[in-house]
Amino acid sequence: MQSSYPKKLLGIISLFHELDDAGRRENLIAYADLATRCSPRPGEVFDIEDIRKDEECTDAVGVHLRVDSKGHVILRISLGPKVQTLTRALSAILCKGFDGASPTEILEVPADFVPKIIGSELVRLRSQTVYYVLSRIKTAVKMWSDQQRAEASRVS
Amino acid sequence: MSPQDKGYAHPEAVVSTEWLADHLSDPALRIIESNEDILLYDTGHIPNAIHIDWRRDLQDPIIRDYISPEAFASLCSRHGIEKNTTCIFYGDKSNWWACYALWCFRLFGHTAVKILDGGRDKWIAENRPLTRVTPSFTPCQYPVPARRLDDEIRAFFEDTLAQSRALRPLIDVRSSPEFCGEVTHMPEYPQEGVLRGGHVPGALNIPWKAAVNDDSTFKSAEELRRIYFDEAGVDPSKNTIVYCRIGERSSHTWFVLTYLLGHHKVRNYDGSWTEWGNRVRAPIERER
Repeated sequence: MQSSYPKKLLGIISLFHELDDAGRRENLIAYADLATRCSPRPGEVFDIEDIRKDEECTDAVGVHLRVDSKGHVILRISLGPKVQTLTRALSAILCKGFDGASPTEILEVPADFVPKIIGSELVRLRSQTVYYVLSRIKTAVKMWSDQQRAEASRVS
Repeated sequence: MSPQDKGYAHPEAVVSTEWLADHLSDPALRIIESNEDILLYDTGHIPNAIHIDWRRDLQDPIIRDYISPEAFASLCSRHGIEKNTTCIFYGDKSNWWACYALWCFRLFGHTAVKILDGGRDKWIAENRPLTRVTPSFTPCQYPVPARRLDDEIRAFFEDTLAQSRALRPLIDVRSSPEFCGEVTHMPEYPQEGVLRGGHVPGALNIPWKAAVNDDSTFKSAEELRRIYFDEAGVDPSKNTIVYCRIGERSSHTWFVLTYLLGHHKVRNYDGSWTEWGNRVRAPIERER
């Protein structure tokens, strides 16, 4: 197993790796059920809030992100009601898997872990949107990094 | 309005949510869910419903084609479906994949088929029960169909090309931007590898959605006749081919024309735009 994954994500990948198809589906459903818990909590403030409805997804997806004083990413994801089950599952998995990771770790994580989690049987053309949430999270982290760079150059 | 009051040519081919709720344990029925969202069934389904996955269960795993008659018999046998079992299909997306699965069952000569009017959305909107319990039925011996009815209700590229050249009826059920070649995929969906946009020359554009109400139920026969026959000019006495992008939306229109309007000569071109738009030298029109 590659070590370029954040520690918590690596744990999830390892868990799914051990499962047969039925167990994998069961765990994906369990994660999808947890997706609502990934929503922003009342009063939370974020550095980046990127909420939009793209063509690649069946409903709006919001990525809400802040980086704490220790350089750890705090991530929340809001999902419209029509977002498909796999996308909801991946959202919950990534919120948990990226918890406490650094922005650099998230930007560098390879996308090859997605089929390792969901299994080849569920990766289909119509479900390529499972990669969508990962790309949205990376986009938000990139926006945060650009914002930090712009602020640093303004100060200097 | 109950499906039986909508004036359909084959009212027996559609059941209401009320009717199904009263027949959940009827041993002569098999309730079948078929979705686009491949995990949706596992999140909760109509009690006693089995899951048929359009890709895993109905399509050949290697070649772009359907399973063999032997594999179909095996699929049915596993789920305790006998030759005379009435299969009631329902699913997400206004029954796109339910109609697709029904059409596939018809390809193998299984004629006792019905659609749940309004599909999964209506069942849930009415707060009817869902379960995560997967039912199991005693396996049986479904007879291997002698052949697949590819000639009767399915069209291939060559059939569609001949239809176009002969100026015979073709219905493109995709959205208007897809028909005009402005996009090569549905709104809200990723590109699925189509190289060219547009439509088969001579095709009419009647998006599948014209046939359904906001609650995903089918419109009445009177409304459907007005849309398809009076306004669009579809002639029910002529051989007609329907297509979309991979054959699921056109299965919906195939069902509407065949069962609700009683059109006897409709074939579904399941290769659809993902075949036509990639085919070298296939003629393409782009104007409305």
